Amino acid sequence: MTIKYFQKGFNYSQDGPGNRLVYHLHGCNMKCPWCSNPEGMKADAAYPAFPITQVTVEDMLSEIISCKPMFFDGGGVTLTGGEVTLQADAVRELLKRLKDEGINTAIETNAMSPALPTLFPFLDHLIMDVKSADEDKLLSVAGGVLYPILKNLKAAVDAKLDILVHVPLINGFNADEDATDKLLQALLPFKDDIRIEFLAYHEYGKDKWKQCGLVYAMENANISTECYKKTVSKFKAAGFTAVRT
Amino acid sequence: MAINHQKTTEMAKELFREERSLMRLDGWFLSKEIGMKYEHETEGMSKMRRTAYLLKKIAAELPISISDNAVFAGTQRDAFARSYALINPAFRVETFSGYCDPTAVFGDIEPNEDITQERLDTVKAHDKETDYIKELTKVYDAAENYTKEVAFFVEQVTGHVIPDMRHALKVGVNEMKREIEANMQKTDDAERIDAYKAMLDSLDAVIIFAARYREIALEKAVGDKAEQFNRLADALARVPAEGARNLFEAIQSFILMWQVMCLEQAPNPFAFSVGNADRIFEPYRAMDNLSREDAAALFKHLLVFYNVADRSWAISQNLIVGGKDTEGNDLTNLCSYALLDAYYDMNLPQPILSVKLHKNTPDKLYEELGRFFFTPGCLTPSLFNDDSVFEVLRNAGVAECDLADYSIAGCQEPLIMGKDNANTTNSWLNLGKILELTLSDGVSTITGDRILPATGDDAITILKNLRERFYANCQFIIKEMTKSANGASRALSNLPVPFLSTLMGGIQSGYDMRDPVHQGTPYNGSGCLIHGLSIVADSFIAVDTLLEERPEDAERLIKALANDFAGDDELHEYLLGCKKYGNNIAVVDDEAAEVASKVADMVAAEKNYLGNPFRPDFSSPSTHLTYGYWVGALPDGRKAREMMNYGVDPLFGDAHQGLGFRVLSSFKLPYIKMNGGFASHFGIDPNYFTGATYEEKGIEFKNKVMRQFFFNPLNDKLAPFYLYVNVTTPEMLRKVLANPKKYAPSGVYIMRIHGTFVNFLDLSPAIQQDIIKRLDLKSTTLEC
Repeated sequence: MTIKYFQKGFNYSQDGPGNRLVYHLHGCNMKCPWCSNPEGMKADAAYPAFPITQVTVEDMLSEIISCKPMFFDGGGVTLTGGEVTLQADAVRELLKRLKDEGINTAIETNAMSPALPTLFPFLDHLIMDVKSADEDKLLSVAGGVLYPILKNLKAAVDAKLDILVHVPLINGFNADEDATDKLLQALLPFKDDIRIEFLAYHEYGKDKWKQCGLVYAMENANISTECYKKTVSKFKAAGFTAVRT
Repeated sequence: MAINHQKTTEMAKELFREERSLMRLDGWFLSKEIGMKYEHETEGMSKMRRTAYLLKKIAAELPISISDNAVFAGTQRDAFARSYALINPAFRVETFSGYCDPTAVFGDIEPNEDITQERLDTVKAHDKETDYIKELTKVYDAAENYTKEVAFFVEQVTGHVIPDMRHALKVGVNEMKREIEANMQKTDDAERIDAYKAMLDSLDAVIIFAARYREIALEKAVGDKAEQFNRLADALARVPAEGARNLFEAIQSFILMWQVMCLEQAPNPFAFSVGNADRIFEPYRAMDNLSREDAAALFKHLLVFYNVADRSWAISQNLIVGGKDTEGNDLTNLCSYALLDAYYDMNLPQPILSVKLHKNTPDKLYEELGRFFFTPGCLTPSLFNDDSVFEVLRNAGVAECDLADYSIAGCQEPLIMGKDNANTTNSWLNLGKILELTLSDGVSTITGDRILPATGDDAITILKNLRERFYANCQFIIKEMTKSANGASRALSNLPVPFLSTLMGGIQSGYDMRDPVHQGTPYNGSGCLIHGLSIVADSFIAVDTLLEERPEDAERLIKALANDFAGDDELHEYLLGCKKYGNNIAVVDDEAAEVASKVADMVAAEKNYLGNPFRPDFSSPSTHLTYGYWVGALPDGRKAREMMNYGVDPLFGDAHQGLGFRVLSSFKLPYIKMNGGFASHFGIDPNYFTGATYEEKGIEFKNKVMRQFFFNPLNDKLAPFYLYVNVTTPEMLRKVLANPKKYAPSGVYIMRIHGTFVNFLDLSPAIQQDIIKRLDLKSTTLEC
């Protein structure tokens, strides 16, 4: 069984607790035009500037074990993407082996795949995106479907996972009053079981779109500090635990 | 004491501009001439007494002045020449000479109507006849076979120590003289009595300077300058003869002591270092409860003092802040932050800033460091890990009571302030060259000259026994090297340093710091800078791989190395693809650890001129370039004359898995054995840091870089203890070079090379390109 990834590296506390080894798995089932890792979006595409690595689960596990001294402050491994669940079988095997080794595990996912709950038994932390509660916009702009996302969120809550919901705040997509109200209502049933983090739009991936020969279509997507603060306050006032990692 | 910090700051900046406009440095020559003039009066004196006597004459006659913008009197301008190669645009990597000619400095003065070629030639000819030069020449002549292509290099070490000024600031020179006289009464050893007399005389030199500067200050104390210069004259009436009573007097005392210390070793006593300046000056700041702003304003003038002429020719002067005591208590104080403020606002090429960290360093210090790392073109401190350095020094025999007093001399060498004459740059060992000679059966593949004896063995025998032969050759070369190094140290003892000795334990010992028979300082050693660690380890693994996978190519490898891979691209590519240090691959990381361990043991087993061990120091201050030029092709795929790896770092381009993997490799090295120091550099892309403020980015820097490298709680080995960083990208530096007016409007864009920082725009092109290349951002990628 093999896993394909296009990037790896260490990060501190921003992809789960402590110092973590983060793998970006290749391929995605959404098409967010603001994606900061466009080189990993299409499972069937490869870009010369961004080589893809394919390794067996065994080899990946060996590499991770050799990195154990770096997992300080509660750190471990985070699998992100692309979209992790597109390689669910291999990921499940890897996560299981990591738990056997006593290594802290996390995934970051768009939470749309029905395979996601099969990973829950091997997860210490779940980071999932809820990009919008506007079904039409989510589908037309990002290619996402809301229902399975919320269903998976419910399943994760039932599985009593440590859940961090990521919401990218993007002008023209989900940052206006109506959109944030709608999102709040959609997440309200879970407010006591999740932490939420709003991520202000950024253009870190812009150059990579160009390097891949793709068109970066985002315009006027930045949000104001005021908008960010207002959104956070709104969710806090409704009883959510808003965090900044 | 009332300080107008704004005006004082403006004056400091103007003073620096004045200094940068100076294009000539003649003072060192004038001081030599004065010495020559009075030499006949020293007949019958010991060398130490003669030095002290002439130092007083120089103090009395050397032309001096005080700028209108100076709040303190004193300069170290007269101790330095325009010599340091790396900041000279004419520098070329290929111009390295295996011979260190102390009279070459006479070529650094452009003759003019006043200082004529004849005057220069007269003093030079006189110098050439001194015992010092004659003995040194013999040392170099004897070593030429090994130094001409830098299998090793040796030098006599001037500067490069950390005087302890605390006692002088506290009690003053008069009390120091009383202490010397008292100790003189206690001995009937004629040699020590003579040394004590020399120390007494030498201390008079600083009193003479103070009196002369005071006269000038009084003359200038008129009109709107009256307050400024009367304050200065008052201070000079007190210090350094007596103890300082406030920060102003302490800095003034410090500057004059420093001036004489440098002048005693002119020309070019590089890398004299300050030590923990925050601990030195805090008691005096506290005496009149000076604010952080006011203290910073005075420190700005202290910083300007360390810059000499148009390119800041006095280099590698280290000043350190922060750190802990042996109980683990943090010793950061208000002066630590005031000094950081002064550094940030002035952003000068000298003195170089270091910061001591430990696992309980307060977040406030990291927050305040953020501005240094994330302001383009701003100086960045080098970083030391007290938790590890204490262990290294303890293991090397440093007493518990001295551990907190370690500081950095020059670039990265940890020495005990005021107690350690470590001759840090005494010897330089080139593992890359030794490996080349081992593979070529003793013949240089660069010049074809035979350097080591032949064995006559065939390629397969050489390769199969490579490690054994390499280490045997190391042993041979190290013995030759240390013999020569000790010769250079003995030659230097012809130039005693009575003034400096009073700040280095001489008042207690009664011996000159450079005495080649009696140890004048509590600690003594000799340094050995070891080059080429990772390329040797990578080469061993490449040879193993080749012998395992294609043993029939053994002969082909030896030929390819001799031909610098010309016509054998296939083999070259194969070798480049072998496992490399720096990617957390056990087999090659373990090899690097073994090379480091074995070579360090060999070096440490050698004794210096006083019987003390040589100190292994895995650093290569730009010598990875200059020495690399003399190293032929190696089995790791590195071509002839290319740079070697820097310090303990992987060769640029070889580590490509990112920072965490590189750090994991580095954990395996035996830092406990590197008691001479080591060097490591991270080029870091600022885009990985997303904090909204400098303070937030400072904390991010702590968590993403320093916690994993220095203070990783899961690292069960002794952690690394030195790091310098450049937080920038190659693109940014290319822009600065292409358009300096836009990106460095002040004409100063500070970058770090090895332990020192430099104005990037002042550097020779070869060094500029080295900095860009060695950012090596693939070796330090992070997630963001």
